[in-house]
Amino acid sequence: MEPTIQVRPEDSVCGRTTSRRAFLTAAPLAAGALWARSSFARAQTVPGASPPLVEPGVKPDYTLEISEIEWELAPKKKIRTAAYNGQIPGPLLRVTEGKQVSIEIGNRLDREEIVHWHGQWIPVEADGAMEEGSPMIPAGGSLLVGFTPRPAGLHWYHTHAMAQRDLKRGLYSGQFGILQVAPASGDPGRYDQEQFIVLHDWEPYYTASDDGSMMVSYVCGSVNGKMLGHGEPIRVREGERVLFQILNASATEPHWLALPGHKFQVLAMDGAPVATQATVETLRLGPAERITAVVTMDAPGVWVLGEAQKAFRDAGMGTVIEYAGRTGKPHEPDAGKLMWDYRVFGDATPVVHRPDVTIPLVFTSRFKGHGALDEWMINGKSWPDADPIIVHEGLRHRLVFDNRSMDDHPVHLHRHNFELVSIRGAATGGVHKDVVIVEAGTKVEVDLVASNPGNTLFHCHQQDHMDMGFMTLFRYA
Amino acid sequence: MKLLSFFLAACGLCAAAAQAQGNYEIQVYGADTVAPRSTMVELHSNFTAKGHPAMVGLAATNHAEHETVEITQGINDWSELGFYIFTSEQSGLGMQWVGDHIRPRVRVPEKWRWPVGVSLSTEAGYQRALFSPDTWTWEIRPIIDKTTGRWYFAVNPALERTWHGPDVNLGIDFSPAVKISYDFTKQITGGLEYYADYGSITNIASLHNQQQQFFPAIDLNVSPKWEINFGVGIGPTSATDHWIVKGIVGRHFDWGKQKQ
Repeated sequence: MEPTIQVRPEDSVCGRTTSRRAFLTAAPLAAGALWARSSFARAQTVPGASPPLVEPGVKPDYTLEISEIEWELAPKKKIRTAAYNGQIPGPLLRVTEGKQVSIEIGNRLDREEIVHWHGQWIPVEADGAMEEGSPMIPAGGSLLVGFTPRPAGLHWYHTHAMAQRDLKRGLYSGQFGILQVAPASGDPGRYDQEQFIVLHDWEPYYTASDDGSMMVSYVCGSVNGKMLGHGEPIRVREGERVLFQILNASATEPHWLALPGHKFQVLAMDGAPVATQATVETLRLGPAERITAVVTMDAPGVWVLGEAQKAFRDAGMGTVIEYAGRTGKPHEPDAGKLMWDYRVFGDATPVVHRPDVTIPLVFTSRFKGHGALDEWMINGKSWPDADPIIVHEGLRHRLVFDNRSMDDHPVHLHRHNFELVSIRGAATGGVHKDVVIVEAGTKVEVDLVASNPGNTLFHCHQQDHMDMGFMTLFRYA
Repeated sequence: MKLLSFFLAACGLCAAAAQAQGNYEIQVYGADTVAPRSTMVELHSNFTAKGHPAMVGLAATNHAEHETVEITQGINDWSELGFYIFTSEQSGLGMQWVGDHIRPRVRVPEKWRWPVGVSLSTEAGYQRALFSPDTWTWEIRPIIDKTTGRWYFAVNPALERTWHGPDVNLGIDFSPAVKISYDFTKQITGGLEYYADYGSITNIASLHNQQQQFFPAIDLNVSPKWEINFGVGIGPTSATDHWIVKGIVGRHFDWGKQKQ
C-alpha cells in the first residue's frame, strides 16, 4: 500500500512552513522564471515594465478594449457598465489548442483592470490573477498577453478585479466573453449549428438572506446580453442537431436552464469531455461553469430556452428558439423538480486512484452583522492571511472540499483542472472540471495532478464570497 | 399601527383621557413586507406591571395582560395586508375582546435599490369604549430603516386620527417610534426602542401629558421562520404606564411555490 500523507493546513508536505512574507518575496522570482520560459506579456505604458517578449511590431491576433458603455438589454432597459470592445458579451475569441495566440488589452477605465483566461493551463504571467503575480493593466494603459491555448473546449475570459462593496465592478460588470479553443486535431463537428449561450445577471443590490446576512440579488438577467424577447431568436430546422456552448457568467447566481420539449445531451463540462454523455431535461450551471450539450431539434414550435425558475425568466433570462415556419407565443419551461448530480456524467464504474497527498479544505464563514456580507475562510483563514496550500509537481492530490457553511460554493482552481472523485461520499470519476459547486453542508472530493508549476489561485467564484476572503494560493513545493 | 396604544385621546384634553392608554402592540416597524405566498402570524404579549387603576367607564391598565394576534399576508414583493385581534385580561374582567384593526402596507421595492428601506403603512379599526374612549381610529405610518454592518436603525413617524370618540375634533396626533439595535451575534440582537405620543401636531402636549416609553429589547434570530422579540419598558411621564414587559413571537408560513 502506498503511503498517504495527511497534510495539516498550516504545514507544507515537505515539513517546511513558509511565512507569508517569505512567500511574497519568493513569488516574483518564480514568476520571472516562468515568464522567460513559456509566455509573453508586457505592460506597454508602464514605466519600468518588464522588457517586451514580443518582437516590436508584432500584430496581436486579437485586441480587447475595456471601456464604459451604455448597453441596451431591452428597448426600455439600458445599463451603464464596463465591457470588452463595446459589446456584451465580449467578442468570441476562437483559438486553436497548441497554437500560440497574442491578445492586446487596452484599458480605457480610470482604474486598474485585469483579464483572466479561465480554464487555460497557462503560466502565471498570462493567467490574469494579481494574487498569483500576473500584472494589472493600469488605467489608460495596455497589456500584450500571449499564451499557448490548452486544453481545448469551451472556456472564457473575464475580469479578475475585486469588487468589494462596489456592485459596478468585477463580474457584476459586463467584462466577460467566450474563449473557444478548438482541438488541435480539428473539430469533429457532429452538429448542424453551434450556438453560444452566455448567462448574466444585472443591476445587483444587497438584500437580506434567509441565513441572516446580506446577499446580492439582481433586477434583471440576460442571455447573450439581451433580455428575453429582445434578442434575435435562434432559428433552427426540424431534425437539426444544435450544439449549445453554455456559460454562466453571473457574478453570484447559479442558474438552471431548460428548453421545453427538448433534452440536452451533455458532451463536456468546463471544456472537458465527460465520461458519460447523459441526456437531461435541465442543466445547472454555477457561476463560471460551462456545459457543452447537443440538442436534437425534434419538437417543431417556438420555445424559450431559459431559466427554469420563473422569477429569473421573468427578469429576462431566456432566449427564443424558433423552428423554421413556426410562429406564435413561445412555450416557457416549467421548473419541475430541479435536480442535478455530476455523477450522472461520470464513469459507471469509476477507476479508484490512490492519492499521494490528501489536502482538506474546510469552508466556513464568520458573521459580520445582518447588514454585512459574511467573511469567508478556508481552513480558518481569510485572504490575504490564508496559508498557501503546498502541492508537488507530478503528484496526485486529493482535495477534500468540506463546506461547513450554509451557502453553496462554486469553487475554482486556476491554471489546472481536477477530476471529481466523490460527491457527498458517493464515488465518481471521469468528470474533469475547473469549477465545482460544493453544496452547503456537504463534501466533494477531487483529484488534482499538479502539472503546471507556479502560483495557482483557488477561490469561490461567487464574486461576493471571493471579495470577502474566500481565496487561497496553491504553491508548488 | 398603534405603538403604545389606542391612544389617548389627545393628551391635553383631560387627565382621564391621558390615562386611557392600553398597550396592545409595541413594535417599531421595519420596512420589509411579508413575502408573497406567505403569512406571518404573531402573538404580542404585553403585561403592564405598573399602570393606571380603573376609572369611571375605563378599565385599568395596571396588571393588565394584553394579548394581540397579528396575521399578515404577503400580497406581492411590495405590499402586504395585516389584521389584528386585540384582547385584554385583568382581574375582575377576565379575557375581553378589545377590538380589531386592518393594516395594508406598501413598500419601495428592493429592486429600486434605494439606500434605505421605505414603506408606508395605514391602519384603521375599532376598539371597545371600555378600553379606549376613541372607538374608531386611523393611523398612517411612514417607515424608514437601514441596516449597516451590525447596526440597525428604524424610524416610524406615525400620525393618528380619531374617527369616533372624544378626540374626534383634536386633529392629527404625532406618535413617533424609533429603534436602534446592534447584532451581538448572528442570533442575538440587542437595542433600544422608543415610543412616544406628543399629542396633536397643532397643539403639542406638555411633557407631563406626553407618552414616552423606552424599551431595552432583544431580538432572537433563531430561524428565518421565527421572529422573537422581548423587552422591558419604562414610562417616565405620568401619562405613560410606568413598567411594561413585552414579548413578540412570530412564525412565517409559506404557501405554494415560492419565488426563487
